[in-house]
Amino acid sequence: MMVLQTLRGGPMHGYALAQIIKRNSGDLLEIEEGSLYPALQRMLKAGWLTAAWGLSARNRRVRVYKITATGRKQLERKVSSFDRMLEGIARAMRPIES
Amino acid sequence: MKWINNFVRRRGVDRELDQEVEAHLEEKMADLMDDGMPEREARQKARREFGNVALCRQESREVWRWVWLETLLQDLRYAVRMLRKNPEFTLVAVLSLAIGIGVNSAMFSLADGLLLRPLSVLRPGEVVTVVSKTPSDPSGNLSYRDYVDFRDRSRSFAGLVAYSMSSFGFSAQPGESPRMKVGFLVSGNLFRAMGVEPELGRGFLPEEDRAPGRDAVVVLGHDFWEKELGADPSLVGRKARLNGIEFTVIGVAPERFTGMNQYLRPALFVPLAMAPRLAANAEDNILEGRGRRGLSVKGRLRAGTNMAQAQAELVTIAKGLERAYPDTNRDRSVALTTELQARIDDSPSDAALIVMLMTLAGLVLLVACANVANLLLSRARVRTREIAIRLAIGAGRMRLIRQLLAESLAIALAGGLASLLFAYAGTAFMDRIRIPSDIPIVFSVKLDQRALWFSLAVSLASTVLFGLVPALQASRTNLLPVLKATDADSARKQRLWGRSTLVVAQVALSLVLMVVAAMLFRGFRADLMGGPGFRTDHLAMMSFDPTLVHYNDAQAQQFYKDLRQRALATPGVKSAALTMVTPMAPNQHQVNVAPEGYQLPKDRNSVQVFADAIDDRYFDTMAIPIVRGRGFREADTAAAPRVAVVNEQLAKHYWPSGNAIGKRLRLDDLKGPWVEVVGVAKTSKYLWIGEPPTEFLYLPLAQRPNSYMTLVAESFGDAAALVAPLHEMVRGLDPNQPIYDVRTMTDFYEARAISIPNMINQMVAAMGLVGLLLAMIGLYGLMAYSVARRTREIGIRMAIGANRGLVARMVLRQGFILALTGLAIGLAASFAAETGVNAVFSTTGRDPLAYLLVAPALLAVTMLAAWAPAHRASRVDPMRALRDE
Repeated sequence: MMVLQTLRGGPMHGYALAQIIKRNSGDLLEIEEGSLYPALQRMLKAGWLTAAWGLSARNRRVRVYKITATGRKQLERKVSSFDRMLEGIARAMRPIES
Repeated sequence: MKWINNFVRRRGVDRELDQEVEAHLEEKMADLMDDGMPEREARQKARREFGNVALCRQESREVWRWVWLETLLQDLRYAVRMLRKNPEFTLVAVLSLAIGIGVNSAMFSLADGLLLRPLSVLRPGEVVTVVSKTPSDPSGNLSYRDYVDFRDRSRSFAGLVAYSMSSFGFSAQPGESPRMKVGFLVSGNLFRAMGVEPELGRGFLPEEDRAPGRDAVVVLGHDFWEKELGADPSLVGRKARLNGIEFTVIGVAPERFTGMNQYLRPALFVPLAMAPRLAANAEDNILEGRGRRGLSVKGRLRAGTNMAQAQAELVTIAKGLERAYPDTNRDRSVALTTELQARIDDSPSDAALIVMLMTLAGLVLLVACANVANLLLSRARVRTREIAIRLAIGAGRMRLIRQLLAESLAIALAGGLASLLFAYAGTAFMDRIRIPSDIPIVFSVKLDQRALWFSLAVSLASTVLFGLVPALQASRTNLLPVLKATDADSARKQRLWGRSTLVVAQVALSLVLMVVAAMLFRGFRADLMGGPGFRTDHLAMMSFDPTLVHYNDAQAQQFYKDLRQRALATPGVKSAALTMVTPMAPNQHQVNVAPEGYQLPKDRNSVQVFADAIDDRYFDTMAIPIVRGRGFREADTAAAPRVAVVNEQLAKHYWPSGNAIGKRLRLDDLKGPWVEVVGVAKTSKYLWIGEPPTEFLYLPLAQRPNSYMTLVAESFGDAAALVAPLHEMVRGLDPNQPIYDVRTMTDFYEARAISIPNMINQMVAAMGLVGLLLAMIGLYGLMAYSVARRTREIGIRMAIGANRGLVARMVLRQGFILALTGLAIGLAASFAAETGVNAVFSTTGRDPLAYLLVAPALLAVTMLAAWAPAHRASRVDPMRALRDE
């Protein structure tokens, strides 16, 4: 979900994506950067992303990922379900009203 | 078609991914170096933060694949490669399984042929058997009158059918001399209720079974129609003659339909209503007379009705019948049994034999599985290091486990395939069992699919189970010590202990198998040496049933009188006698008796014993000695006082103190006629050679006439040479008289008494040997493995002064302890098994010689298996063993 959310801001290559996600999560999530790639492949297969070869800021040949319409829809659905989950947690945490 | 695309794209994906990862690392390095990190450090950091490159690559790749199947195929390929690299291991494992599964499939197929094969009707599971029950007979036939009442009053059945086996003289043309054929008299609803669709024409209509003697219609059995009538479809609608009466052929039964019995291939089916016309004399009407109980009854339960409900309903009806017809139905009730139970009741000795053989086969399978488990366990230990290395370079645990399981799977599948050979060989062997008779008894042992699947499932379960345990354990290995240690095997005693237990169990089980085999073998040998207790040489036999050609009772008696007289006058005949049953024939006769002065069990008013009706020359002709009193005389006519001869076993049982001569017994039940015992005959064999001493009763033919009789003629010379003159003699008596079951006693005895026990013997012995072989392999495997593991230890021992003999003895001792433990447990188990075997077979009680033969032989053989590894251990070169680090 974080990947899709990040890509909504514009196409990006793998390394940049990893950096942004790392920064955005405030280095709270200690994920291996490598695990990003299987996730990207899964989303490619599902048709949420497309990939094309492009150049990085340092002029290296990299794959640039772009979110598709299906990907956006998926993101909305996920966000809303995530919201619902948060809401549910919040409600459960709320002190019991008599 | 997306997956095809994915498949094609795969290679591209691989390359792209590699480039991508490379780019990622370089970008990161560049970033880090921008921050002022030296190149080497930056490279390391980039790598570290990226994580496992190989794993990332593999997982990314798997996204695109038909993952499951592909990895499975890959694992299987790998497994096959591994197995090919270890041919001995593979051979032993596959062979063990193949034998285990094969033996079980074959045994199950035998059990199926003898007992389990369902009736060839629609949804056989719904069909139950109805038996008539009295205090003295828990499973009797029903009379037609009772059947009709049950059929019309009960609501639990979708169809209640009745049938009775009978012989018919069949002729296709009026002039043709009749052929003796066995068929069924059946109720008109039988085909419909059992869901049997005739292959040609039609089945019976319900109204064709209404009016006695009105509808002369016949449905032909498929085999008879095909083999003897040339499969002529135009026969349907034509006339044929049964017992001289004209019948219309209305249909041909389907091929698979064996009637209501799994062995028989009836030649024809006739409505029960025709029975009175087919019978020889008018009084012999099975449709009348509530006491004439000759029908077997089966019913298809109505949907939603269970056996208990149906039984309760039938019992209520039976109570009503008991009140309405006290003369015939006093103390008579009914019971429902399943088809399987009915068959077991029919032939308990078959059932016992099957249980025994299946148990032995199960033991063989157990030993085989133990072997494979053992091998797999030892391989897992050996491979700990390989697995640790794979884990270290990043293999997923699940993947590793899958791979080990794939190996087990490959072994199980190979074993399953190879077992087909054994199973086929086994069934071909058992299919040789032939029951010599003119009645077309079909006993076919077919390789049963269910059996095969069952055995395959067992072997799969066992290999997977035993493959899984080491796989799990190995994959949880703590990597460091394993990688560091030179000896992959960190000393874990309990594992070896578990394997030792398996070997001990194997030795014990094979001892049981061997002891049982030896006992049976010696038992049968003793029986065969002792002989059956009657003459088996120089005897020719032929059977008759003159009522088939419409003789009445008096005519039939006259026919037999003339037959014997003429037989005695036939050249080459030394003696001739008539008997109702032939010893060792499958169809034996039983009567109910109430012996005088014998306290019958509380709920019974008579006991059942095997019996025969014979003439006055039978004992002489068959050379059965009379040990006390006299045999029958010509003076024992129908008008004379009723007499009987009992065998020693019966005399001993019912009159244990004193002489049986002069004692009396009532025939049938407490109201039957008194019969005086005038002689005691030596106990012989009646049903089969392996039977325990059986009680037997002889009645004089004149006082118990029967329409079906067998002529036994003793020859001076070759018995087979008598057949032709006897045939000629019968033709002179009545050219239309059907003759059947013509054979010499030698052939019959060979087939019934010798070949079948021999076959059982061979089967049990084969299983014993197979069990022994498997146990040997198991012990060898364990010892060899243990020696390999201890090579270093042995090297040290030798280096500090142990000589070769000492080392060999050390290893042998280990094997010896295992074998001895197995033997001790096996001996205890054999004692238990012996009791079971003795209950079924007339082995000579406790058989110490069986133990004396088997136990040392087994010990010797197991020691042989331990010797090879011991020898290898003694050849260990201490220098090399120690340098091998």
